[in-house]
Amino acid sequence: MSKVYFSTWNGELVNNVSKPQEEWEESAYNLPATYDDHRDSKAFIGWDGVSLFHEDVDVIRLAMEYAAQYQVYSEACGRCAPGRWGGQILYDQLDKIARGEGSIADMNHLREIGASMQITSKCEIGKTVPNPILDLMTHFEDEFMDCINNQKPSKHYKDEIGYIAKITAPCTDMCPAHVDIPAYIEGVRDLRFDDSLQATRQTMPLAHVCGRVCPHPCEDACRRTNLDEPISIMELKRLGADYETDHSFGFTHPMQKKESNGKKVAVIGAGPAGLTTAYYLAAEGTQVDVYEELPVLGGEVAVGVPEYRMPIDKYNQDIECVKDMGVNFITNARINADDMRRFETEYDSTMLATGTRISKKIRCNNERPEVEGYWSAIEMLDQINLWDKYEIGKAVDLTDKTVVCVGGGFTSMDVVRCAIRANAKKVYMVYRRDEKTIIRNTTYDEYHEAVEEGVEFLFYSAVNSMSDENDVLKSLLIDKFELVPDPDGGRAQLNKIEGESYTIETDFLIPAVSQSADLELIPKEWDMQMTSWGTIKTNGKDYMTSRRGVFASGDCEYGPMTIVNAVGQAKRAASVMSRYMQNAEISLSDDEIMEDHLRNLKVYDKKEKVKGWLPGLPRQESEKLSVDVRKDNDKEVNLGFTQEEAMNEADRCMRCYYIAMVTV
Amino acid sequence: MSNLINFKIDGISVEAQKGETILNVARKNDIYIPTMCYISKTTPCASCRMCVVEAKGVDGFVLSCNTTPTQGIEITTNSSELNTQRINIMKLYDVNHPLECGVCDKSGECDLQNKTLEFNIERQNFSTRDLSREIKDWGLISFDPALCILCEKCVHICNEVIGDDAIEVIFGGYASTIIPKNSDVLDCTFCGECIAVCPVGALVSSNFKYSANVWELNRIPATCAHCSAGCPLEYESKNSGINGDDSIYRVKNNFEYTSLCGAGRFGFDFDNKDAGDETSFNKAIQALKEAKAIRFSSMITNEEAHILQLLKEKLNIKLFNEDARKFQEFMRAYSTISGKLHHSGSLDAIKQSDAAIVIGSRISTDNPAVRYALTTASKHNGAKIVYAHPMEDLLMQNTVTQFMKYEVGTEEGVIALLANAILQKADLSDSERAFFDDLDLGYLDAESNIGDEEIDEMMESFSRTKNRVLIIGNDLMAHSRSSNIAKLAALIEKYSDFSLVVVPKEVNTLGSSLICDLDKDEDISDVVGYNAKGDFIISFLSLANLAVASLNQQEGTFVNIDNRVLPTNVAVKFDGYTLNDVASTLGISATNTVAYTKELKKSSGFKEVEFDDLENFLSANGDDVRGYLLDEVSCKADGELEELDDLPEFNGTIIYNVNPVLQFNAQTNQAEQLESDTTLRGSAQFAAAARISDGDRVEINFGAKALIREFKLDSELKGTIALNPTFDDVIDAGRYRFEKSKIKRVVE
Repeated sequence: MSKVYFSTWNGELVNNVSKPQEEWEESAYNLPATYDDHRDSKAFIGWDGVSLFHEDVDVIRLAMEYAAQYQVYSEACGRCAPGRWGGQILYDQLDKIARGEGSIADMNHLREIGASMQITSKCEIGKTVPNPILDLMTHFEDEFMDCINNQKPSKHYKDEIGYIAKITAPCTDMCPAHVDIPAYIEGVRDLRFDDSLQATRQTMPLAHVCGRVCPHPCEDACRRTNLDEPISIMELKRLGADYETDHSFGFTHPMQKKESNGKKVAVIGAGPAGLTTAYYLAAEGTQVDVYEELPVLGGEVAVGVPEYRMPIDKYNQDIECVKDMGVNFITNARINADDMRRFETEYDSTMLATGTRISKKIRCNNERPEVEGYWSAIEMLDQINLWDKYEIGKAVDLTDKTVVCVGGGFTSMDVVRCAIRANAKKVYMVYRRDEKTIIRNTTYDEYHEAVEEGVEFLFYSAVNSMSDENDVLKSLLIDKFELVPDPDGGRAQLNKIEGESYTIETDFLIPAVSQSADLELIPKEWDMQMTSWGTIKTNGKDYMTSRRGVFASGDCEYGPMTIVNAVGQAKRAASVMSRYMQNAEISLSDDEIMEDHLRNLKVYDKKEKVKGWLPGLPRQESEKLSVDVRKDNDKEVNLGFTQEEAMNEADRCMRCYYIAMVTV
Repeated sequence: MSNLINFKIDGISVEAQKGETILNVARKNDIYIPTMCYISKTTPCASCRMCVVEAKGVDGFVLSCNTTPTQGIEITTNSSELNTQRINIMKLYDVNHPLECGVCDKSGECDLQNKTLEFNIERQNFSTRDLSREIKDWGLISFDPALCILCEKCVHICNEVIGDDAIEVIFGGYASTIIPKNSDVLDCTFCGECIAVCPVGALVSSNFKYSANVWELNRIPATCAHCSAGCPLEYESKNSGINGDDSIYRVKNNFEYTSLCGAGRFGFDFDNKDAGDETSFNKAIQALKEAKAIRFSSMITNEEAHILQLLKEKLNIKLFNEDARKFQEFMRAYSTISGKLHHSGSLDAIKQSDAAIVIGSRISTDNPAVRYALTTASKHNGAKIVYAHPMEDLLMQNTVTQFMKYEVGTEEGVIALLANAILQKADLSDSERAFFDDLDLGYLDAESNIGDEEIDEMMESFSRTKNRVLIIGNDLMAHSRSSNIAKLAALIEKYSDFSLVVVPKEVNTLGSSLICDLDKDEDISDVVGYNAKGDFIISFLSLANLAVASLNQQEGTFVNIDNRVLPTNVAVKFDGYTLNDVASTLGISATNTVAYTKELKKSSGFKEVEFDDLENFLSANGDDVRGYLLDEVSCKADGELEELDDLPEFNGTIIYNVNPVLQFNAQTNQAEQLESDTTLRGSAQFAAAARISDGDRVEINFGAKALIREFKLDSELKGTIALNPTFDDVIDAGRYRFEKSKIKRVVE
């Protein structure tokens, strides 16, 4: 809810013109009425309408400035005739009226050109820019006519007013890393794969990784869903990265690396968050030292995600790209509290990106980690990946062994599918809920591929207790549950079904329910603020911890979450750190403030009716290796799109760019 | 499941193949949808929005150029609302477009002009302040951003078809414009396709600019005479002054479906301005009567080659053409395995491929059309392209996915390794299988420097591909082991799904090889040269004892890389003697040269067709209906693979006789607009090994040959092989192009 003077946002008409402020009706939307902690917004104008928070807004100039932003926001525009010329004419005619030289004919031309843009523009940006302008012309026609009839400038035409604009898209808004998705898809469509990759790398250095193992929340906000099915956004990201790799080009960075700024940053952990922080800070000219406890770089994506999902040679390309920016990596370096104290003086700031590398217990009876056969998911995946990818340690051979994994998320899927590949005799997944839920928590493909490979899923099940002989695991007692609906309409309850418990003989029990953060490195006297779930606390916007100059991002901040979440946090944090080291202030850029406002407002509207696109064009599916070919080896399962599939898929993208602008 | 989608356009039932857009289907069915930015050979630019259509039951307009139809959908291409929007778009295009049609090069064939008239734009209700936009001089190409309508055709072509990727759009709303990519000035191979596709006068030829109105020009459809691709083009000529002769003003191409390289586009003025007199004609007759041999080059029509063959028979003399003879030998050996005369592949097969191996050619300059076809395959099909060669070529980096570097001279070993991998599971005969079983892979690997892992990588990258092609260049034909190489290539074609393209060197190497019985060239006296060296030279090139017509001054046919017999025509008149006149005097008479078109050798696959019955155009849908395809001819497949020879070693400073971009031969060397850079280009490593530096005059010795060249250091090259141009006619045709050489600085 927002207090507004006037609003047409999302079809809602709130008109408090000439009403006293205390009688103002509110808007139902989370409009950015307050810009930041020291500025109120006077108006918000965007693709879906306009909202005024103040009586004294110069609406003609507001319309003109919005049209001007369309010209300024270059990366998206100039790509079609209606947008390129129409946008300029909108701006020009509005400016003519605003400076007191307009005519009635200009109003008509604005309406005519606005209507043409709404119908024929290439992207949503061209289609939607006229929307709020035409709204203002309709609802404030008197003000426009006053300027025209009296040939006078609009009321604040010459005043200093701040206009802050931001370009977005539903998918970009939903992506935690705010990747410019329409741009990288356009790169595929235009067969300009270098442009595609650069668009990705603007905010996401791990193009190979996030073209493969991202859970793609963006696809839940794809406007194409309103028409038929969402675009296969994630897989299209691969094309740019593969193009660079396949043709052995050097790394193309979306920005020029700046001259050294004399600042130094320590990053603890070389996983996605650490790599991202390092990449963007190094680009700013900061010296970055990344400390990694393991002998290899890449964090959990390297030692957690298996080869068949994320081939290491591809991930190494992403890591090399970060190195290419001039980042210094120190491996086999477990950082302790003394190091951290030292870093405070040696570095200008520090990033904690240590992830969550302790597997949580499943809380069954007799759960003693010292029992042989009790094997945490993290340790198991470490051993498998270190051997498979780097030939470090020793191979895992589960021939003739039975493996029981308790989980339900991505990590547990990795465990059971790796167990199959290690030739286990029998692999069970014990999960408390049902098939539908496991699919929702992972992906349809992950679950079905695991089933195909021979994993047996035990739903509505939990381990009651471990039985061992002389500290060697022998069997598990499994309880069965049923879902009992709450008669009062509350959440359904899981109730144990008495008498249905049974025993499974097994060699291994692998807990993969969740992970927690190992934060021994934080000096006690820092008295670091933590969340109730044991991660480092920040405000989720600037990622500074309670210790000034020490930042945290990724799983150690959020708890076990996605790669793209870690990247998004780390990218934002790098930007905050960069400013902090220059001016000792914690601040967000206008772009970041707008990003948060739009996230709050929600860019994607699943009820919107999409016009101007032919529905019924099917989403492309990439080829997967058949189960016989894949289940005993590390070959990548998802073969990715063929060029034809990729081009067809890219052609479905509607380029839903929008411009939003705030007046302060 | 059928791949066809049935739907309606304007009430007419039509069907779309998988992947075809509404616009494609409409055009195929002769239904008109206006466009400003669409071009058939690239992905849709989708910038003009003129092609919007209505779809029943769908709100708003649908873009027809990049939307594939759905089953049963009913499309309307014209309505008053569509017309209103199209008119508005045309008005927008006309906003601030400079009113300089009176002098603009494009006037008369300008899409903007045409569509403005078509939509009857008689008043303009939109206006905006204009921006100052400066004209850019990019060498052969001139760009006027004020005229540019940002259709993006040029950008798409350059990236998707040519592969230079040298221009891009810099976006900025109304200020958007085209700029050179990653460079201040245009840094490209100057194919000039951007000029061809520009719908307005924004991108024009600097040379042609302001020199003629399009309606004054005569158009002569012809075939490009510079390389074996045989690209279709139109020479455009007009009187160069009062009572002046016609001269060629420019070259155009059907850019909708075909492409031209810069040599074809800008290298048109190679017509012979000299004309032989009676005295020199008589001397020519005399020389031929006394000749022991005729030596000719492959810059020749089939009909002329036929006459030379008749002269050989009549005068009982030898006929030399080492380039064609090497090609002939190669293809004869090929036939002994394949049992047929012609290779199976074509430029189209390359365009449609998703896997290709190029071996033994610096293809970007040997045959730009093959390069463009590879670019198309790479961009549009994501083709995996293996480039096997001793030297990397930066022009191919956009396209090539695997560079397989082999040692100079080891081509026989390399092709054996490739065949061994490709034919691993093929159903070979026992003797053929035995050949592969007996290969000493370790030795081949070590000597050729191509490792197992490279071959594995190639096979792995080809694993999902369906349309594969093997492209063989001149280094294999001119190789001392060419016949065994040809047999191995034939074996790959025969037993795998690879089609084969053997790239002929000159415009009519292939035709000459099919028509003439060629003798091995000998260093003898009393040789008459026909466009080649000799004691008496009959030629369209300078230094001729008798001047004859150039290839753009005569009718005749060529056989191109696709095995297609292509007609070419007289662009400018030649007032002198022809080879036919010479032959007639010697008793081989025909009314004119093209009387021989229907006489061409049937046993080589030529058809009995009159020259005047040969078509010379592309259909509206882009089908190549020019001339005809040679008939396939079966022959005995009684060849046997020979045991591999020891692989030779090339050490020290090596030169590679290969041309820079835009140059092919003595013909292109005459063209005024084409840069004639005759420097020896090498890397810093080469310079160090040869102890020379940038700008030195150097003497290059190889075999019995000595050449003086200026040396140019080229930072884009690596290794100890330098590039030596051959277009200034210093290298004998048919030689293996790598030469062990001694280089020394010339002290002046």
